[in-house]
Amino acid sequence: MINWQAFAWLRPRWAKALADVVGNRVRLLLVVASIAVGLFAVGMIATMHYMLSEDMTASYEQVNPANIYLYTTPFETKFVDSVRRMPEVKDAQAERTFSVRLRSGKDEWTRINVKAVADMESMSINRVRVLEGKWPPGDKEIVFDRHKLESAHIAVGDMVEVRLADDTLREMKCVGVVQDQTIGAVGAGGYFLADLQAYVSDDTLQWLGQTPGWNVLLVTAAENAYDEAYLHVLAEKIVDRVERNDHLVMNRVVRRRDDHPNMVYVEAMSGTLFALGFLVVFLSAFLITNTLMALLNQQVEQIGVMKTVGAKRRQVISVYMVLILTFSLLGLMISLAFSGRAAYRLLEFLSKDLNIIPQGYRREPGAILLQVLIALVVPQLAGAFPVLRAAMLSVQEAFNGAWLLKSSDEVKWLDFFITRLHLPRPLLISLRNTFRRKGRLALTLITLAMGGAMFIATFNVRSSMQTLIHTLSRYFIADVNLTMERPYRLEDISRVLTTIPEVGQFEAWAGARAEILDENGEPGETVNLMAPPAESALIEPVMLKGRWLLPGDQNAIVLSELFLSNFPDIEVGDTIRLRVNGKDTTWVVVGFFQFAGKAARYVAYADYTYLSQLTHQVGKSYSYRIIAARPLKTIEEQKQLGQILETVLNRYGYQVNDISPGLWLLQSATTGLDMLVIFLLIMAALAALVGSIGLTGTLSMNVLERTREIAVMRAIGASDRIVMQLVIVEGVLIGMIGWFLGCLVAFPISQGLWVVISTALFGVSAEFTVDATGFVLWIFVVLILSLLASILPARNAARMTIREALAYE
Amino acid sequence: MAIGCCTLAEDQQVLPGGERQPLLELHEVVKTYPTAQGDFMALKGISADFYAGEFVGILGKSGAGKTTLINMITGVDRITSGEVLAMGVSMHALGEDQAARWRGKNMGIVFQTFRLMPTLSLVNNVRLPVDFCGAYQPRASFARALALLESMEMSEHALKLPSQISGGQQQRVAIARALANDPPIIVADEPTGRLDSATSAIIMRIFERLAREGKLVLMATHDFSIAQYFSRRLEIADGVLVADSGRVGG
Ligand SMILES: Nc1ncnc2c1ncn2[C@@H]1O[C@H](COP(=O)(O)OP(=O)(O)O)[C@@H](O)[C@H]1O
Ligand SMILES: [Mg+2]
Repeated sequence: MINWQAFAWLRPRWAKALADVVGNRVRLLLVVASIAVGLFAVGMIATMHYMLSEDMTASYEQVNPANIYLYTTPFETKFVDSVRRMPEVKDAQAERTFSVRLRSGKDEWTRINVKAVADMESMSINRVRVLEGKWPPGDKEIVFDRHKLESAHIAVGDMVEVRLADDTLREMKCVGVVQDQTIGAVGAGGYFLADLQAYVSDDTLQWLGQTPGWNVLLVTAAENAYDEAYLHVLAEKIVDRVERNDHLVMNRVVRRRDDHPNMVYVEAMSGTLFALGFLVVFLSAFLITNTLMALLNQQVEQIGVMKTVGAKRRQVISVYMVLILTFSLLGLMISLAFSGRAAYRLLEFLSKDLNIIPQGYRREPGAILLQVLIALVVPQLAGAFPVLRAAMLSVQEAFNGAWLLKSSDEVKWLDFFITRLHLPRPLLISLRNTFRRKGRLALTLITLAMGGAMFIATFNVRSSMQTLIHTLSRYFIADVNLTMERPYRLEDISRVLTTIPEVGQFEAWAGARAEILDENGEPGETVNLMAPPAESALIEPVMLKGRWLLPGDQNAIVLSELFLSNFPDIEVGDTIRLRVNGKDTTWVVVGFFQFAGKAARYVAYADYTYLSQLTHQVGKSYSYRIIAARPLKTIEEQKQLGQILETVLNRYGYQVNDISPGLWLLQSATTGLDMLVIFLLIMAALAALVGSIGLTGTLSMNVLERTREIAVMRAIGASDRIVMQLVIVEGVLIGMIGWFLGCLVAFPISQGLWVVISTALFGVSAEFTVDATGFVLWIFVVLILSLLASILPARNAARMTIREALAYE
Repeated sequence: MAIGCCTLAEDQQVLPGGERQPLLELHEVVKTYPTAQGDFMALKGISADFYAGEFVGILGKSGAGKTTLINMITGVDRITSGEVLAMGVSMHALGEDQAARWRGKNMGIVFQTFRLMPTLSLVNNVRLPVDFCGAYQPRASFARALALLESMEMSEHALKLPSQISGGQQQRVAIARALANDPPIIVADEPTGRLDSATSAIIMRIFERLAREGKLVLMATHDFSIAQYFSRRLEIADGVLVADSGRVGG
């Protein structure tokens, strides 16, 4: 090995700093690892954040997404040309969308969404990416989007059977699979609740029972495609044109060009993950504080020497800053080597769930800069206290070691206490050792406790998410939600349903699509207006303000919390104007209820009788909700009930549009949230790692400082086993105390985390629930980690020969 | 080999009438330590002048106050009253950083326990004062450090660590370090205390030579058997200067 102290150009003070870096290999390893893990956590999150937003935006823009969607009564192709000629419009495209049902089992039918586009080869808006097979589909052929395709068990080349509204069955050949990034862009549930999407050619439309004409108009704006307010104005203008052509606009959706349907998840998570990343950095900084504290305790005399030979305070400080800097740079190199790649791997892994196309690995300058900054600043701050304290020592204080005596805390009260416990001797000694260095112990425990708290919090957040979803399911209590092809008389349907023994209760609900009218009477956002019968048993709303509907309510309406956040002026008691089925109406707001927040669109509930009168549907209904005679626990049981209902209703000649099991909603929503849990778990794992590195560091430092004591123990005959046992017992003891503290800290941490996540995701701070899983799992993790963390220091302790140990000063 | 033999002429002012200015002056130096039983006066007003070229032995039994006096001279501990003037500078009036810098340039200090930096090679130990005290040309300082080690007959060990050489060798390296900035004053507290008599003799002869070359060398020791090396002997008992052999050959 070359002796770098032979280099004449290297200043001796830096030679000293370097000597301290490499002087203790365990220390070097732990400090660098700890810095690297902290930087890695933030680096990965930052890279992920930048890459994900960029890739999401970039890959979404590549499909040339529509800025405005208008759902209308059928129109012809030449009308599209006239819209396209508007100066504000860059391009327009006509589509026909409808739903059919796809056979997904022997007697099982799933609703899918089908669309045909005019001029499919040269489709310019909402382009799809072909993953497999051919595009566009030919006559009587069908292409599927990959989202939820797996659960339908369909592959390219398969024949699939669809069932039309009038129960006609059609066989089509699946010829391709595509990726459509606009899925979830319209519709209430977003990406995760969207139905399976299929594409057919316009030649096939009539064969599938569709009347001629297009029913969706997609428009891209010539300018300001990123300005939502402008897009609303433009939409209004196009709606005017549509209406002047005697078509009716049923629904409109406006979307910025960069507003990928899943962006809400990325935005919601980024802040939280950054916060967690910084927490890991913060924890890793504790190890630096601890290490320097121990190092400087050993080097008090050297500081005295430096000062006698003429070192000023800041020169002493600079020696240790360079030492820290060297550790940081090593950690930074490791972090830079891995964080970017790891982030991209994760992005690729998530790209399917997030429905984006990864744009290729590249370095993210922002993330690199962040890591460099943290590497330069945080360890220095962490070391600042011990370094400054040491640099302030006078030569005299440094030489007579008075300072050392001050900081080696004697814990008399503890001695008093533990000698009274009848514990085995090694445990007794370990217990004393553990508490000897209070400052170090405190920092180690904080690291462990915070790491544990994050770990536990992950599970609590997960269970809170499930609770929230369960709360939401209280709006959909029915076992089966039945949507008929057209409104049937309630009396008729009731007569059929009461003959089915499996049916317990059922309710007919009314519903309408409404639009919010602004002060000028212009329609804006679409509202999903539902009307359960008075005193319905199938909905248990969670009220945020005001009250729920009461029997006899006339034009009373309760609104979802999205109104609260987007129309903060509306109060309970105010009136709101809605256009319902083309008719302008006024409603009195009696309350606000909690729903799925930002992910959901506008939802409102009104009185059944009032709404059915308003829509001229008195005594008739599209929508029926059924509860089974005996409780159904699984989605399979609910599906079976659905099949029975359909068979019977069909026999009487009633046409069913869709049957959805009540638990289905729960299941779909959970998949989306699992992705977030993966992230949280990664962060928790990193925090746990930092915690165990900290513990290893503490134990090594303790062993090193107790060298003399260990030597004496060996001299009086303690075996290797006893010496190792001492260190391991101490490690496990610290681990267990850390676990206990972690459990305590976990409560506020999980609650805080949940408030942040649920607010970001749903716009509400929802009910928090505690899950035992995290607590139990963490005790095992801590046990294993603290055992692992003690092994290396314990072996070092056992290997020390008496001579070596006594020579150590 | 004479190291830095030419500095004296610049540093020494010669007064009219041929009287030389003292390099170091102690005026009524008093030091009290606060103790549990009240203040303990370790130095009870010590006055003396020291000149370049003197090899001064501060002799006294253990506990007499030698180390306390040395600490007053080097300025590493606070003075209770009185004054220490080194080359006209009042050491105790300087701030901590200034004092460190002044000391680094003008005083070489040698300890009983050597106090070499354990992780630095010998040559780097010797270079350290030059590194901290400014005008730094790395290569030149390296060459000078090697030359100093050579003069102490230690150059073949230059790249070793302190733990790899004997105590007497360590002390020679410590002296080389004390000379690194070519200071006019060398202060040593029991430098032979940990050494056998043969090794002690070697160290004493080195100090003797340094004084001959024009340095002021002050050495505290309780070992009266080495008193013959000194050109001037001060004796301290209970914090009082009880004897001063006076200036010799001044
Ligand atoms: N920091 C201190 N606090 C209190 N008393 C001290 C301190 N340092 C030295 N003394 C006392 O001052 C006296 C002189 O000590 P010292 O100068 O170390 O003597 P010497 O070096 O001659 O052996 C002794 O009695 C010693 O106990
Ligand atoms: Mg002494």
